[in-house]
Amino acid sequence: MKEKHNKTRRFQRLKNWDSLKLLKYAVIGFFALFLMIPLLSVFIVSFTGEPVNLFGSFVNPEILSTNIERLSNASFEHYANLFSSGSVYLSALNNSLLLSILVSVIVIVMCLPIAYAFARTAMPFKKTLAALCTMPIIVPTFISAAGFIIMFGRTGWVTHVFNTMLGTEGAIFNVYSMLGIILVQVFFFFPFALWPMVAAFKIADLSVEEASRNLGAKSWSTMVFVTLPLALPGMISSALLIFTVSFSDFGTPIILAPDGLNLIVVQAYREISGFFNWAGASILTVIMVIVAAIFFWLQRLATKGKDYGTVSGKPKKVKLNAKKAVTLPLFTYTSLVVLLPVLTVFSVFIQSIATTWGRDLLPRGFTLDHYATIFTRSTDNIMNSIILASGALVISVIVATLVSYFVVRQNATKLDFIASIPLVVPGIALGIAFIQTFNTAPLQLTGTAFLLIVAYAIRRMPYMIRSTMGSMMAIRSDIEEASVNLGASRLLTLTTIVGPLMLPGIVAGSILVFVTVIKETSVTILLAPSEWAPMSLMVFQNILRGQMYTASAMAILIIGVVLILQLVANRLTKNSLY
Amino acid sequence: MDLNIREGEFYALLGPSGCGKTTTMRCIAGFEDITEGDIYIGEQRVNDVAANRRNCGMVFQSYALFPHYNVFENVAYSLTVRDLYRGSYGKRVKSFARLMSRKLGKPPKELYQKVMDALQTVELNHLAERGVGELSGGQQQRVALARALVMEPAVLLMDEPLSNLDKKLRNTMRTTIRNIQQEIGITTIFVTHDQEEAMSMADRIAVMKDGEIVQQATPTELYGKPLTPFVADFVGSSNLYDATVIGERQVKINDQFVVHTNGVTASNEAKVLIRPEGIKILRERHESTNVIEGQVTMSTYFGPNIRYDVNVGEATVVVEQEFEPGIPVYDQGDHLFLHIPEERVLLL
Repeated sequence: MKEKHNKTRRFQRLKNWDSLKLLKYAVIGFFALFLMIPLLSVFIVSFTGEPVNLFGSFVNPEILSTNIERLSNASFEHYANLFSSGSVYLSALNNSLLLSILVSVIVIVMCLPIAYAFARTAMPFKKTLAALCTMPIIVPTFISAAGFIIMFGRTGWVTHVFNTMLGTEGAIFNVYSMLGIILVQVFFFFPFALWPMVAAFKIADLSVEEASRNLGAKSWSTMVFVTLPLALPGMISSALLIFTVSFSDFGTPIILAPDGLNLIVVQAYREISGFFNWAGASILTVIMVIVAAIFFWLQRLATKGKDYGTVSGKPKKVKLNAKKAVTLPLFTYTSLVVLLPVLTVFSVFIQSIATTWGRDLLPRGFTLDHYATIFTRSTDNIMNSIILASGALVISVIVATLVSYFVVRQNATKLDFIASIPLVVPGIALGIAFIQTFNTAPLQLTGTAFLLIVAYAIRRMPYMIRSTMGSMMAIRSDIEEASVNLGASRLLTLTTIVGPLMLPGIVAGSILVFVTVIKETSVTILLAPSEWAPMSLMVFQNILRGQMYTASAMAILIIGVVLILQLVANRLTKNSLY
Repeated sequence: MDLNIREGEFYALLGPSGCGKTTTMRCIAGFEDITEGDIYIGEQRVNDVAANRRNCGMVFQSYALFPHYNVFENVAYSLTVRDLYRGSYGKRVKSFARLMSRKLGKPPKELYQKVMDALQTVELNHLAERGVGELSGGQQQRVALARALVMEPAVLLMDEPLSNLDKKLRNTMRTTIRNIQQEIGITTIFVTHDQEEAMSMADRIAVMKDGEIVQQATPTELYGKPLTPFVADFVGSSNLYDATVIGERQVKINDQFVVHTNGVTASNEAKVLIRPEGIKILRERHESTNVIEGQVTMSTYFGPNIRYDVNVGEATVVVEQEFEPGIPVYDQGDHLFLHIPEERVLLL
């Protein structure tokens, strides 16, 4: 009898080991292989200054010995160089920090009245303005930068209007400068801060304000001394978010940064693509990740315990300020702010249908030739985009579904943490880490579409997981138990019950992944092999070559696709972007 | 704890929330790991059998119906899954396809018939194609029951199956469930915190407290001969007193009055239980043992019966009397005499 028990027990242990546990190890293995090890090896290389082949060390003793030798040479030398005065890296870091700080401060100040207008007033055309105030973040930044060139460049139409009116000559300001980059980032990133701030204004305790007014305070002093401080945590968190977004943005600086202006993302890109300077690229990567992580952590700290995204509990009736003297100026101001991004996209559109457009307000004539061109000569790019995005989508759907399952049902907090690491790894940093790790045998994947797809999937994983986790949490655990009770294994339960029930979240998440992959520039530029160039890379290269017409047509196509998919996703999740 | 449930028995696990009754059931179903002891279903020791191989049909408190399947698919789930694991290669593929979408194939005849029979048992065959979200609470409950029954489980487990229904529906469902159980003769374990539910449905009841079984007995035994004050109090309403034994079969209750009893106890101190419906009300003084005088402090009318709270000295005695037209009804402040028959004075 006892022997029989032991036998069944052993059998059972094997059975328990099967499907789900195996999948869990597969997921952990995926993150280890494509996230942890690349980041770790970049970290090591930043000390050794020479490439270290971690995978090779496991299979080939020769490689292992070289690696050990290189490791023994590890030193803080490269870091010391970094912090010596006059270093290129130090100035790159300083410039990037300066840029991001300026952008966040300007965005917050600029958004304050708009946030107030949306949260507390009956401003006219609120819905339209809200849509327009969301639009900028769907435009890839290298396209906005190109739009700025079309408007404010030396032959730009705004420059032309300005000069004709004032009788001056030359550009209003140099687009290819720190100022140009700041303006693009401010006007295209502000929605990231605006909507959390609107939520903060909405949620700030109204009764306190009423009390203040009740005690005789004038409305402006209530605003300054009560409303603002209440919304302060929301504003700080928004500022930190903008900082991270601006710091990791690659599209704007790569187009607009002049030769003299060093920015960390651009510098890192040059180190790896121009000089194959492993030491420099690795150090910059490590610094980028550390800075992004610090600000991400600070932002979490600022929002701790305060979820501005969801208004729960008793919704208080907000009395909206409808005084014309307040709403009209706010309306004018908000319209002026959204005017710039709208005009930028519009300029790209005009450029895409222009025959030639020189130093004039309007082009000479209009044509659809550029669209014909991209649909005949660039079908490859369009197909590549679709294939790459679909590949990334499939990987992230599978991994994100499993991660949400393990996190929600088995409380796998470590997995949750690992899966959210990509949030603090700027695209350029991930690209460098991938090239460094996968450029030699036994895992020589650099230059393959597969690695690019994995990079896309890893980068967008946290967003996908956020989407699937939400629908996972809505599934009661007894529904799964019922399925198991009826004879299905955990794996079959996952495929037949959990999967279908998570579908809305999965679909919404995958659309967002698809959209962001199509927009993605930094990873694409570093990792895309030429035969797999997607639309975004084609636009980017055409902008650099000065072929603005076809670039614009392709850009408009990208914006169109992104806009449509985004609307579908919003419809599915029934909430706005932010 | 030691439970022995006979084949075909309707067995209730009764206890307050947090007493471990649901955990016990989940152990049987295989959702909780047991640290020590053995669970046998029939001859088979199931400690190491995975939850999906135990063949225990379970009806969940929340019903746990699959919202993306219709009634038929919910009930068919276990059979389709069985085909998926045991059928021929072609059958496996077809079964999987059907689990993913109803558009991907029709169920085989035999399976269809079994599902419809199960639905017939719970009288829901006319709603087979409905979505489960469109059903009322009682109908959902019956789908959950059919879903558990269709796999012909060795044991049927029901976790507070009636707690989500309103009172009227609960009474009809009680009869429905009991009838179906009798008809099929399936061994059933039933978890509830409602003593009325347990008493009216079960063949035997285990009363649980803090993870232990306090008493296992038939409903009548449990009511008539509770082993502990906890059981007495939990099962039905009761007058529970501290008493001192003062002589041969005589106890003094709450230091207030003396009654004779049939019960025996070894110690000098005891708990005394008198069921409220065991006390008779006398209109006039009657010099006899076990007759006491009291004053009504509260009179509550329930329809079929009346409840009086009577002060006897400083003790309160609750009395329940069946209401019949013509019997005298007492008001607050009225004096009356209570006769407590010796056999109704239980020593615990």
